[in-house]
Amino acid sequence: MEIIRAEGVHYNYYNRFPALIDVSLEINKGEKFAIIGSNGSGKSTLLQILTGLLFPSQGRVFFHNNELSEKSLKEKDFLRFFREKVGFVFQDSDIQLFCPTVMDELLFGPLQLGLKKDEALARASEIMQMLNIENLKDRPSYMLSGGEKKRVAIGSVLTMNPEVLLLDEPTSGLDPKTQVFLLELILALNEAGKIIVIATHDLSLVDELQSRVAVLSEEHRIEKIGSAEEILKDEDLLLKVNLIHEHVHYHGQTAHTHIHSHYLFHKH
Amino acid sequence: MRNKIPPFLLNTPSSLHPERGGGKVSMSYIDKGIESFAGVLKEGYAQWKSASGKGFFYELDTRIKVVFWLFFILVVSLKKEILPEAGIFFTVFVILLVSRVNLVTFYRKVFLLGFIFGFLISLPSSLNVITHGKVIFPVIILPKAYDFWIYHIPGVIGFTAEGVSVVSMLTLRVINSLSLSFLILYTTPFPEIIKALKVLKVPDAFLIIISLTYKYIFIFARIVADMHLAKKSRLAGAVKSAEARDWIAGRIAFILKKTQLKCDDVFKAMIGRGFSGEIKLYQYQKITGRDWIFGFFLFALGSLILWV
Repeated sequence: MEIIRAEGVHYNYYNRFPALIDVSLEINKGEKFAIIGSNGSGKSTLLQILTGLLFPSQGRVFFHNNELSEKSLKEKDFLRFFREKVGFVFQDSDIQLFCPTVMDELLFGPLQLGLKKDEALARASEIMQMLNIENLKDRPSYMLSGGEKKRVAIGSVLTMNPEVLLLDEPTSGLDPKTQVFLLELILALNEAGKIIVIATHDLSLVDELQSRVAVLSEEHRIEKIGSAEEILKDEDLLLKVNLIHEHVHYHGQTAHTHIHSHYLFHKH
Repeated sequence: MRNKIPPFLLNTPSSLHPERGGGKVSMSYIDKGIESFAGVLKEGYAQWKSASGKGFFYELDTRIKVVFWLFFILVVSLKKEILPEAGIFFTVFVILLVSRVNLVTFYRKVFLLGFIFGFLISLPSSLNVITHGKVIFPVIILPKAYDFWIYHIPGVIGFTAEGVSVVSMLTLRVINSLSLSFLILYTTPFPEIIKALKVLKVPDAFLIIISLTYKYIFIFARIVADMHLAKKSRLAGAVKSAEARDWIAGRIAFILKKTQLKCDDVFKAMIGRGFSGEIKLYQYQKITGRDWIFGFFLFALGSLILWV
Protein backbone atom coordinates (compact mmCIF):
# COMPACT_ATOMS: atom_id res chain seq x y z
CA MET A 1 0.00 0.00 0.00
CA GLU A 2 1.43 3.31 -1.13
CA ILE A 3 1.73 5.94 1.64
CA ILE A 4 3.88 8.70 0.11
CA ARG A 5 4.10 9.56 -3.59
CA ALA A 6 6.15 12.28 -5.30
CA GLU A 7 5.33 13.06 -8.93
CA GLY A 8 7.76 15.04 -11.11
CA VAL A 9 9.01 17.20 -8.24
CA HIS A 10 11.23 20.17 -9.07
CA TYR A 11 12.68 22.55 -6.48
CA ASN A 12 14.93 25.61 -6.91
CA TYR A 13 16.63 27.62 -4.18
CA TYR A 14 16.25 31.40 -4.62
CA ASN A 15 14.42 30.62 -7.89
CA ARG A 16 17.80 29.92 -9.47
CA PHE A 17 19.80 27.02 -8.02
CA PRO A 18 18.15 23.72 -8.91
CA ALA A 19 18.01 21.34 -5.93
CA LEU A 20 15.69 18.71 -7.40
CA ILE A 21 14.76 18.00 -11.01
CA ASP A 22 11.85 15.78 -12.00
CA VAL A 23 11.94 13.51 -8.95
CA SER A 24 9.29 10.80 -8.76
CA LEU A 25 9.10 8.02 -6.18
CA GLU A 26 6.69 6.22 -3.93
CA ILE A 27 7.12 4.80 -0.44
CA ASN A 28 4.98 1.92 0.74
CA LYS A 29 3.53 0.78 4.05
CA GLY A 30 6.06 -0.69 6.47
CA GLU A 31 8.95 0.01 4.13
CA LYS A 32 12.56 1.04 4.77
CA PHE A 33 13.61 3.56 2.16
CA ALA A 34 16.96 5.28 1.74
CA ILE A 35 17.72 8.34 -0.39
CA ILE A 36 21.41 8.37 -1.19
CA GLY A 37 23.54 10.87 -3.06
CA SER A 38 26.67 12.96 -2.71
CA ASN A 39 26.78 16.31 -0.87
CA GLY A 40 24.50 18.88 -2.47
CA SER A 41 22.55 16.37 -4.53
CA GLY A 42 19.25 17.41 -2.88
CA LYS A 43 18.64 14.64 -0.31
CA SER A 44 17.74 16.97 2.56
CA THR A 45 15.57 19.13 0.29
CA LEU A 46 13.68 16.03 -0.85
CA LEU A 47 13.09 14.95 2.77
CA GLN A 48 11.82 18.43 3.65
CA ILE A 49 9.44 18.31 0.69
CA LEU A 50 8.16 14.86 1.74
CA THR A 51 7.48 16.28 5.22
CA GLY A 52 5.58 19.30 3.89
CA LEU A 53 8.14 21.82 5.14
CA LEU A 54 9.05 22.97 1.64
CA PHE A 55 6.77 22.88 -1.37
CA PRO A 56 7.85 21.92 -4.88
CA SER A 57 8.08 24.61 -7.55
CA GLN A 58 6.70 22.02 -9.98
CA GLY A 59 5.21 18.57 -9.44
CA ARG A 60 3.12 17.18 -6.60
CA VAL A 61 3.52 15.17 -3.40
CA PHE A 62 0.80 12.96 -1.92
CA PHE A 63 0.39 11.46 1.54
CA HIS A 64 -2.33 8.81 1.82
CA ASN A 65 -3.52 10.12 -1.58
CA ASN A 66 -3.96 13.65 -0.21
CA GLU A 67 -1.89 16.31 -1.91
CA LEU A 68 0.57 18.12 0.34
CA SER A 69 0.38 21.81 -0.40
CA GLU A 70 0.52 25.08 1.50
CA LYS A 71 -3.26 25.18 1.24
CA SER A 72 -3.94 21.63 2.47
CA LEU A 73 -1.52 22.01 5.38
CA LYS A 74 -3.41 25.08 6.55
CA GLU A 75 -6.52 22.94 7.11
CA LYS A 76 -6.60 22.22 10.86
CA ASP A 77 -7.71 18.58 10.61
CA PHE A 78 -5.34 17.63 7.83
CA LEU A 79 -2.40 19.38 9.49
CA ARG A 80 -3.03 17.44 12.70
CA PHE A 81 -3.44 14.16 10.78
CA PHE A 82 -0.24 14.74 8.81
CA ARG A 83 1.98 15.91 11.67
CA GLU A 84 0.76 13.07 13.88
CA LYS A 85 1.70 10.53 11.22
CA VAL A 86 4.96 11.97 9.95
CA GLY A 87 7.97 12.66 12.16
CA PHE A 88 11.14 14.30 10.89
CA VAL A 89 14.54 14.18 12.59
CA PHE A 90 16.82 16.96 11.35
CA GLN A 91 20.51 16.44 10.69
CA ASP A 92 21.41 19.23 13.13
CA SER A 93 19.84 18.29 16.46
CA ASP A 94 20.62 21.76 17.83
CA ILE A 95 17.99 23.43 15.69
CA GLN A 96 15.42 20.79 16.53
CA LEU A 97 15.64 21.05 20.30
CA PHE A 98 13.94 24.25 21.37
CA CYS A 99 12.33 23.51 24.75
CA PRO A 100 13.90 24.41 28.12
CA THR A 101 14.66 20.82 29.21
CA VAL A 102 14.78 17.30 27.77
CA MET A 103 11.48 16.44 29.48
CA ASP A 104 9.76 19.49 27.92
CA GLU A 105 11.18 18.45 24.60
CA LEU A 106 9.63 14.98 24.85
CA LEU A 107 6.27 16.35 26.01
CA PHE A 108 5.98 19.06 23.33
CA GLY A 109 4.71 16.76 20.55
CA PRO A 110 2.10 14.74 22.49
CA LEU A 111 0.70 17.90 24.11
CA GLN A 112 0.47 19.49 20.65
CA LEU A 113 -1.59 16.50 19.56
CA GLY A 114 -3.96 17.11 22.45
CA LEU A 115 -3.01 14.07 24.56
CA LYS A 116 -3.78 14.23 28.26
CA LYS A 117 -0.85 15.20 30.47
CA ASP A 118 -0.72 11.75 32.15
CA GLU A 119 -0.58 9.94 28.84
CA ALA A 120 2.03 12.36 27.50
CA LEU A 121 4.14 11.85 30.65
CA ALA A 122 3.83 8.07 30.34
CA ARG A 123 4.98 8.23 26.72
CA ALA A 124 7.92 10.48 27.59
CA SER A 125 8.98 8.18 30.40
CA GLU A 126 8.82 5.04 28.21
CA ILE A 127 10.78 6.74 25.43
CA MET A 128 13.44 7.91 27.90
CA GLN A 129 13.77 4.35 29.12
CA MET A 130 14.11 3.00 25.59
CA LEU A 131 16.73 5.60 24.62
CA ASN A 132 18.64 5.43 27.93
CA ILE A 133 18.23 9.14 28.58
CA GLU A 134 16.34 9.05 31.89
CA ASN A 135 19.27 10.72 33.64
CA LEU A 136 19.04 13.68 31.25
CA LYS A 137 15.39 14.57 31.76
CA ASP A 138 15.96 17.87 33.61
CA ARG A 139 18.94 18.99 31.56
CA PRO A 140 18.74 21.81 29.01
CA SER A 141 19.59 20.68 25.48
CA TYR A 142 22.73 22.82 25.21
CA MET A 143 24.27 20.79 28.05
CA LEU A 144 24.11 17.52 26.08
CA SER A 145 26.73 15.78 23.96
CA GLY A 146 26.19 15.22 20.21
CA GLY A 147 24.99 11.63 20.72
CA GLU A 148 22.66 12.62 23.58
CA LYS A 149 21.18 15.43 21.50
CA LYS A 150 20.49 12.98 18.67
CA ARG A 151 18.73 10.58 21.07
CA VAL A 152 16.62 13.40 22.49
CA ALA A 153 15.79 14.67 18.98
CA ILE A 154 14.61 11.19 17.96
CA GLY A 155 12.75 10.78 21.25
CA SER A 156 10.98 14.11 20.76
CA VAL A 157 9.55 12.80 17.48
CA LEU A 158 8.83 9.26 18.71
CA THR A 159 6.61 10.49 21.56
CA MET A 160 4.21 11.58 18.79
CA ASN A 161 4.12 7.94 17.60
CA PRO A 162 4.42 8.71 13.91
CA GLU A 163 3.62 6.19 11.19
CA VAL A 164 6.51 7.51 9.06
CA LEU A 165 9.88 8.47 10.48
CA LEU A 166 12.19 10.49 8.25
CA LEU A 167 15.79 10.90 9.34
CA ASP A 168 18.28 13.25 7.70
CA GLU A 169 21.86 11.88 7.88
CA PRO A 170 21.05 10.06 11.13
CA THR A 171 24.53 8.71 11.84
CA SER A 172 26.65 11.70 10.84
CA GLY A 173 28.95 12.96 13.57
CA LEU A 174 28.09 10.16 16.01
CA ASP A 175 30.55 7.80 17.68
CA PRO A 176 30.49 4.11 16.59
CA LYS A 177 28.60 2.97 19.71
CA THR A 178 25.83 5.52 19.21
CA GLN A 179 25.71 4.66 15.51
CA VAL A 180 25.10 0.99 16.32
CA PHE A 181 22.47 1.95 18.91
CA LEU A 182 20.72 4.11 16.33
CA LEU A 183 20.83 1.43 13.66
CA GLU A 184 19.32 -1.14 16.04
CA LEU A 185 16.66 1.37 17.02
CA ILE A 186 15.75 2.09 13.39
CA LEU A 187 15.47 -1.63 12.60
CA ALA A 188 13.36 -2.27 15.70
CA LEU A 189 11.04 0.63 14.87
CA ASN A 190 10.63 -0.69 11.35
CA GLU A 191 9.80 -4.14 12.71
CA ALA A 192 7.22 -2.43 14.90
CA GLY A 193 5.54 -1.21 11.70
CA LYS A 194 6.99 2.25 11.20
CA ILE A 195 7.99 3.40 7.74
CA ILE A 196 11.62 4.53 7.85
CA VAL A 197 12.97 7.01 5.32
CA ILE A 198 16.59 8.09 5.62
CA ALA A 199 18.78 10.45 3.62
CA THR A 200 22.44 9.51 3.75
CA HIS A 201 25.67 9.07 1.85
CA ASP A 202 26.77 6.35 4.27
CA LEU A 203 26.70 3.17 2.16
CA SER A 204 27.37 0.94 5.17
CA LEU A 205 24.13 2.19 6.73
CA VAL A 206 22.24 1.33 3.54
CA ASP A 207 23.78 -2.14 3.56
CA GLU A 208 22.83 -2.69 7.21
CA LEU A 209 19.27 -1.49 6.67
CA GLN A 210 18.78 -3.48 3.45
CA SER A 211 16.22 -0.91 2.41
CA ARG A 212 14.89 0.11 -0.98
CA VAL A 213 17.17 2.84 -2.30
CA ALA A 214 16.73 5.92 -4.50
CA VAL A 215 19.99 7.30 -5.88
CA LEU A 216 20.17 11.06 -6.48
CA SER A 217 22.75 12.26 -8.98
CA GLU A 218 24.83 15.43 -8.74
CA GLU A 219 22.49 16.80 -11.42
CA HIS A 220 19.70 16.52 -8.80
CA ARG A 221 17.78 13.79 -10.63
CA ILE A 222 16.81 10.29 -9.54
CA GLU A 223 19.39 8.09 -11.21
CA LYS A 224 17.96 4.74 -10.13
CA ILE A 225 15.61 3.16 -7.60
CA GLY A 226 16.22 -0.43 -6.51
CA SER A 227 16.99 -2.79 -3.67
CA ALA A 228 20.04 -2.11 -1.48
CA GLU A 229 21.77 -5.18 -2.88
CA GLU A 230 21.14 -4.13 -6.49
CA ILE A 231 22.32 -0.54 -5.92
CA LEU A 232 25.38 -1.41 -3.84
CA LYS A 233 26.58 -3.88 -6.48
CA ASP A 234 26.33 -1.28 -9.22
CA GLU A 235 29.86 0.16 -9.08
CA ASP A 236 29.42 2.19 -12.29
CA LEU A 237 26.36 3.92 -10.88
CA LEU A 238 28.02 4.68 -7.53
CA LEU A 239 31.09 6.02 -9.33
CA LYS A 240 28.90 8.18 -11.56
CA VAL A 241 27.06 9.76 -8.62
CA ASN A 242 30.32 10.24 -6.70
CA LEU A 243 29.53 7.92 -3.80
CA ILE A 244 32.68 5.89 -4.44
CA HIS A 245 35.93 7.01 -6.04
CA GLU A 246 39.15 5.74 -7.55
CA HIS A 247 41.93 5.51 -5.03
CA VAL A 248 45.68 5.31 -5.62
CA HIS A 249 48.06 3.79 -3.12
CA TYR A 250 51.35 1.91 -3.06
CA HIS A 251 52.16 -1.76 -2.60
CA GLY A 252 55.90 -1.49 -1.98
CA GLN A 253 57.17 0.50 -4.95
CA THR A 254 54.16 -0.19 -7.20
CA ALA A 255 51.35 2.34 -7.55
CA HIS A 256 47.93 0.68 -7.52
CA THR A 257 44.53 2.09 -8.39
CA HIS A 258 41.18 0.67 -7.28
CA ILE A 259 37.64 1.74 -6.53
CA HIS A 260 37.17 2.87 -2.97
CA SER A 261 34.12 3.76 -0.94
CA HIS A 262 35.57 3.61 2.57
CA TYR A 263 33.23 0.67 3.02
CA LEU A 264 32.25 -1.88 0.44
CA PHE A 265 34.55 -1.80 -2.53
CA HIS A 266 38.14 -2.35 -1.64
CA LYS A 267 39.04 -5.11 -4.05
CA HIS A 268 42.59 -5.87 -5.11
CA MET B 1 16.38 -3.23 21.52
CA ARG B 2 13.27 -4.92 20.13
CA ASN B 3 12.04 -5.78 23.65
CA LYS B 4 12.50 -2.20 24.77
CA ILE B 5 10.04 -0.68 22.25
CA PRO B 6 7.21 0.86 24.32
CA PRO B 7 3.76 -0.64 23.59
CA PHE B 8 2.30 2.68 22.43
CA LEU B 9 4.79 2.77 19.55
CA LEU B 10 3.39 -0.54 18.31
CA ASN B 11 -0.08 0.96 17.89
CA THR B 12 -1.09 2.67 14.69
CA PRO B 13 -1.84 6.36 15.31
CA SER B 14 -5.49 7.12 15.98
CA SER B 15 -6.72 8.69 12.75
CA LEU B 16 -6.57 6.16 9.93
CA HIS B 17 -8.10 8.36 7.28
CA PRO B 18 -7.43 12.04 6.97
CA GLU B 19 -10.18 14.37 7.95
CA ARG B 20 -10.38 17.42 5.74
CA GLY B 21 -11.48 20.92 6.66
CA GLY B 22 -11.95 21.85 10.31
CA GLY B 23 -11.14 25.48 9.62
CA LYS B 24 -7.91 27.17 8.67
CA VAL B 25 -4.76 27.49 10.71
CA SER B 26 -3.93 31.17 10.81
CA MET B 27 -0.30 32.15 10.49
CA SER B 28 0.81 34.30 13.38
CA TYR B 29 2.64 37.56 12.77
CA ILE B 30 5.69 35.99 14.41
CA ASP B 31 5.70 33.18 11.82
CA LYS B 32 5.38 35.72 9.05
CA GLY B 33 8.21 37.73 10.60
CA ILE B 34 10.48 34.69 10.70
CA GLU B 35 9.68 33.84 7.10
CA SER B 36 10.50 37.41 6.07
CA PHE B 37 13.73 37.21 8.04
CA ALA B 38 14.64 34.12 6.05
CA GLY B 39 14.13 36.35 2.98
CA VAL B 40 17.37 38.09 4.01
CA LEU B 41 19.21 35.15 2.49
CA LYS B 42 17.43 35.60 -0.82
CA GLU B 43 18.05 39.36 -0.83
CA GLY B 44 21.74 38.80 -0.06
CA TYR B 45 22.02 36.31 -2.86
CA ALA B 46 20.17 38.65 -5.26
CA GLN B 47 22.59 41.51 -4.39
CA TRP B 48 25.63 39.32 -4.94
CA LYS B 49 24.22 37.94 -8.20
CA SER B 50 23.21 41.33 -9.65
CA ALA B 51 26.49 42.91 -8.52
CA SER B 52 28.64 40.27 -10.20
CA GLY B 53 27.57 41.08 -13.77
CA LYS B 54 29.62 42.26 -16.72
CA GLY B 55 29.55 45.81 -18.02
CA PHE B 56 31.29 49.20 -17.79
CA PHE B 57 30.58 50.15 -14.18
CA TYR B 58 30.80 46.55 -12.91
CA GLU B 59 34.40 46.33 -14.07
CA LEU B 60 35.51 49.70 -12.72
CA ASP B 61 37.79 49.55 -9.67
CA THR B 62 35.68 49.64 -6.49
CA ARG B 63 37.83 52.39 -4.93
CA ILE B 64 37.11 54.66 -7.91
CA LYS B 65 33.41 53.85 -7.55
CA VAL B 66 33.38 54.68 -3.85
CA VAL B 67 35.14 58.03 -4.42
CA PHE B 68 32.77 58.77 -7.34
CA TRP B 69 29.80 58.00 -5.09
CA LEU B 70 31.00 60.24 -2.26
CA PHE B 71 31.88 63.11 -4.61
CA PHE B 72 28.55 62.99 -6.44
CA ILE B 73 26.56 62.72 -3.18
CA LEU B 74 28.39 65.87 -2.09
CA VAL B 75 27.46 67.59 -5.37
CA VAL B 76 23.80 66.54 -4.94
CA SER B 77 23.78 68.09 -1.45
CA LEU B 78 25.50 71.32 -2.52
CA LYS B 79 23.54 72.14 -5.67
CA LYS B 80 20.08 73.58 -5.31
CA GLU B 81 19.18 74.14 -8.98
CA ILE B 82 17.25 71.92 -11.33
CA LEU B 83 19.88 71.84 -14.11
CA PRO B 84 22.77 70.27 -12.15
CA GLU B 85 20.39 67.81 -10.45
CA ALA B 86 19.02 66.83 -13.88
CA GLY B 87 22.63 66.48 -15.06
CA ILE B 88 23.39 64.01 -12.24
CA PHE B 89 20.20 62.07 -13.00
CA PHE B 90 21.19 61.86 -16.66
CA THR B 91 24.78 60.82 -15.78
CA VAL B 92 23.54 57.90 -13.63
CA PHE B 93 21.06 56.94 -16.36
CA VAL B 94 23.83 56.80 -19.00
CA ILE B 95 26.10 54.76 -16.68
CA LEU B 96 23.26 52.30 -16.08
CA LEU B 97 22.61 52.08 -19.80
CA VAL B 98 26.22 51.41 -20.81
CA SER B 99 26.64 48.97 -17.90
CA ARG B 100 23.53 47.05 -19.06
CA VAL B 101 21.85 47.22 -15.65
CA ASN B 102 18.16 46.28 -15.69
CA LEU B 103 16.61 49.77 -15.78
CA VAL B 104 13.07 48.67 -14.88
CA THR B 105 14.11 46.90 -11.65
CA PHE B 106 16.52 49.70 -10.78
CA TYR B 107 14.17 52.65 -11.26
CA ARG B 108 11.17 50.85 -9.77
CA LYS B 109 13.03 50.71 -6.46
CA VAL B 110 14.50 54.22 -6.75
CA PHE B 111 11.22 55.90 -7.69
CA LEU B 112 9.22 54.07 -5.01
CA LEU B 113 11.64 55.07 -2.24
CA GLY B 114 12.04 58.56 -3.75
CA PHE B 115 8.26 58.98 -3.80
CA ILE B 116 7.90 57.93 -0.14
CA PHE B 117 10.96 59.58 1.40
CA GLY B 118 11.19 62.58 -0.94
CA PHE B 119 7.78 63.53 -2.26
CA LEU B 120 5.29 62.27 0.38
CA ILE B 121 7.29 63.43 3.38
CA SER B 122 7.94 66.93 2.03
CA LEU B 123 4.56 67.48 0.34
CA PRO B 124 2.85 69.17 3.34
CA SER B 125 5.62 71.78 3.38
CA SER B 126 4.43 73.09 0.00
CA LEU B 127 1.14 74.26 1.53
CA ASN B 128 0.91 78.04 1.98
CA VAL B 129 0.53 77.47 5.74
CA ILE B 130 4.22 76.58 5.78
CA THR B 131 5.73 78.00 2.57
CA HIS B 132 4.34 81.41 1.71
CA GLY B 133 3.75 82.34 -1.91
CA LYS B 134 1.23 82.29 -4.72
CA VAL B 135 -1.37 79.53 -4.28
CA ILE B 136 -1.56 77.57 -7.52
CA PHE B 137 -3.69 74.67 -6.28
CA PRO B 138 -6.24 75.50 -3.55
CA VAL B 139 -7.23 72.58 -1.29
CA ILE B 140 -9.42 74.08 1.49
CA ILE B 141 -11.34 77.35 1.40
CA LEU B 142 -12.24 78.73 4.85
CA PRO B 143 -14.85 81.47 5.44
CA LYS B 144 -12.10 83.79 6.69
CA ALA B 145 -8.48 83.88 7.74
CA TYR B 146 -7.60 83.01 11.37
CA ASP B 147 -4.80 84.24 13.60
CA PHE B 148 -3.82 82.74 16.92
CA TRP B 149 -0.61 83.19 18.82
CA ILE B 150 2.20 83.32 16.24
CA TYR B 151 0.24 81.36 13.62
CA HIS B 152 -1.69 82.72 10.66
CA ILE B 153 -4.21 80.42 8.88
CA PRO B 154 -5.10 81.98 5.52
CA GLY B 155 -8.63 81.86 4.09
CA VAL B 156 -7.48 79.72 1.17
CA ILE B 157 -5.18 76.83 2.03
CA GLY B 158 -3.37 75.32 -0.93
CA PHE B 159 -0.09 74.43 -2.60
CA THR B 160 2.10 77.37 -3.52
CA ALA B 161 4.33 77.66 -6.60
CA GLU B 162 7.37 78.15 -4.34
CA GLY B 163 6.39 75.15 -2.22
CA VAL B 164 5.93 72.89 -5.25
CA SER B 165 9.33 74.00 -6.56
CA VAL B 166 10.99 73.16 -3.19
CA VAL B 167 9.24 69.76 -3.04
CA SER B 168 10.24 68.91 -6.64
CA MET B 169 13.82 69.91 -5.89
CA LEU B 170 13.93 67.85 -2.72
CA THR B 171 12.36 64.83 -4.44
CA LEU B 172 14.87 65.08 -7.28
CA ARG B 173 17.74 65.27 -4.79
CA VAL B 174 16.44 62.23 -2.88
CA ILE B 175 16.04 60.32 -6.17
CA ASN B 176 19.58 61.29 -7.22
CA SER B 177 21.08 60.24 -3.88
CA LEU B 178 19.19 56.96 -4.05
CA SER B 179 20.17 56.24 -7.65
CA LEU B 180 23.84 56.94 -6.88
CA SER B 181 23.75 54.58 -3.89
CA PHE B 182 21.80 51.88 -5.72
CA LEU B 183 24.18 52.21 -8.69
CA ILE B 184 27.04 51.17 -6.38
CA LEU B 185 24.98 48.41 -4.71
CA TYR B 186 23.77 47.02 -8.04
CA THR B 187 27.23 46.89 -9.58
CA THR B 188 29.54 45.99 -6.67
CA PRO B 189 29.44 42.96 -4.35
CA PHE B 190 28.96 44.16 -0.76
CA PRO B 191 32.26 42.73 0.59
CA GLU B 192 34.13 44.69 -2.13
CA ILE B 193 32.42 47.91 -1.05
CA ILE B 194 33.53 47.32 2.53
CA LYS B 195 37.12 46.70 1.45
CA ALA B 196 37.10 49.79 -0.75
CA LEU B 197 36.27 51.90 2.31
CA LYS B 198 39.97 51.49 3.08
CA VAL B 199 40.64 54.38 0.67
CA LEU B 200 38.58 56.58 2.99
CA LYS B 201 41.00 55.62 5.77
CA VAL B 202 38.37 53.60 7.64
CA PRO B 203 40.43 51.54 10.16
CA ASP B 204 41.06 47.86 9.25
CA ALA B 205 39.67 46.63 12.56
CA PHE B 206 36.37 48.36 11.80
CA LEU B 207 36.28 46.90 8.28
CA ILE B 208 36.90 43.38 9.61
CA ILE B 209 34.08 43.80 12.10
CA ILE B 210 31.68 44.93 9.34
CA SER B 211 32.75 42.04 7.05
CA LEU B 212 32.30 39.43 9.78
CA THR B 213 28.96 40.92 10.83
CA TYR B 214 27.71 40.88 7.24
CA LYS B 215 28.76 37.23 6.88
CA TYR B 216 27.20 36.11 10.18
CA ILE B 217 23.90 37.82 9.43
CA PHE B 218 23.48 35.22 6.68
CA ILE B 219 24.68 32.33 8.82
CA PHE B 220 22.22 33.21 11.57
CA ALA B 221 19.41 33.94 9.13
CA ARG B 222 19.86 30.36 7.91
CA ILE B 223 19.84 29.03 11.50
CA VAL B 224 16.63 30.97 12.24
CA ALA B 225 14.99 29.67 9.05
CA ASP B 226 16.00 26.07 9.91
CA MET B 227 14.74 26.42 13.49
CA HIS B 228 11.45 27.66 12.12
CA LEU B 229 11.16 24.57 9.89
CA ALA B 230 12.08 22.29 12.81
CA LYS B 231 9.30 23.77 14.90
CA LYS B 232 6.84 23.63 12.03
CA SER B 233 7.56 19.90 11.64
CA ARG B 234 6.30 19.24 15.19
CA LEU B 235 3.28 21.54 15.21
CA ALA B 236 -0.09 19.93 14.79
CA GLY B 237 -2.17 23.08 15.00
CA ALA B 238 -2.14 26.83 15.44
CA VAL B 239 0.09 28.31 18.13
CA LYS B 240 -1.12 30.97 20.52
CA SER B 241 0.71 34.28 20.27
CA ALA B 242 1.91 33.99 23.89
CA GLU B 243 3.44 30.55 23.17
CA ALA B 244 5.02 31.88 20.00
CA ARG B 245 6.57 34.76 21.99
CA ASP B 246 7.94 32.25 24.53
CA TRP B 247 9.45 30.26 21.71
CA ILE B 248 11.03 33.36 20.21
CA ALA B 249 12.50 34.32 23.59
CA GLY B 250 13.99 30.83 24.02
CA ARG B 251 15.41 30.89 20.53
CA ILE B 252 16.94 34.33 21.02
CA ALA B 253 18.76 32.93 24.05
CA PHE B 254 19.89 29.97 21.94
CA ILE B 255 21.16 32.25 19.15
CA LEU B 256 23.00 34.34 21.73
CA LYS B 257 24.67 31.23 23.12
CA LYS B 258 25.48 30.00 19.62
CA THR B 259 26.90 33.42 18.68
CA GLN B 260 29.13 33.35 21.73
CA LEU B 261 30.40 29.86 20.85
CA LYS B 262 30.85 30.85 17.20
CA CYS B 263 32.76 33.93 18.28
CA ASP B 264 35.14 31.79 20.35
CA ASP B 265 35.57 29.36 17.44
CA VAL B 266 36.27 32.15 14.94
CA PHE B 267 38.85 33.66 17.27
CA LYS B 268 40.54 30.26 17.72
CA ALA B 269 40.51 29.79 13.92
CA MET B 270 42.13 33.21 13.49
CA ILE B 271 44.81 32.39 16.08
CA GLY B 272 45.35 29.02 14.38
CA ARG B 273 46.05 30.81 11.11
CA GLY B 274 48.65 33.15 12.52
CA PHE B 275 46.63 36.09 13.82
CA SER B 276 48.68 37.99 16.37
CA GLY B 277 46.62 41.08 17.03
CA GLU B 278 47.59 43.03 13.94
CA ILE B 279 44.97 43.10 11.19
CA LYS B 280 46.26 42.87 7.64
CA LEU B 281 43.67 43.11 4.91
CA TYR B 282 44.17 41.67 1.47
CA GLN B 283 45.61 44.45 -0.67
CA TYR B 284 43.88 45.45 -3.85
CA GLN B 285 45.51 45.12 -7.21
CA LYS B 286 46.90 48.33 -8.66
CA ILE B 287 44.35 50.61 -10.26
CA THR B 288 44.68 50.20 -14.03
CA GLY B 289 45.14 53.02 -16.54
CA ARG B 290 41.60 52.44 -17.81
CA ASP B 291 40.22 52.90 -14.26
CA TRP B 292 42.21 56.14 -13.83
CA ILE B 293 40.88 57.50 -17.16
CA PHE B 294 37.26 56.75 -16.28
CA GLY B 295 37.82 58.00 -12.74
CA PHE B 296 39.24 61.26 -14.05
CA PHE B 297 36.40 61.61 -16.54
CA LEU B 298 33.77 61.11 -13.80
CA PHE B 299 35.59 63.55 -11.51
CA ALA B 300 35.70 66.15 -14.31
CA LEU B 301 32.00 65.63 -14.98
CA GLY B 302 31.18 66.06 -11.28
CA SER B 303 33.29 69.24 -11.13
CA LEU B 304 31.51 70.58 -14.22
CA ILE B 305 28.11 69.94 -12.60
CA LEU B 306 29.33 71.59 -9.41
CA TRP B 307 30.52 74.63 -11.40
CA VAL B 308 27.29 75.02 -13.46
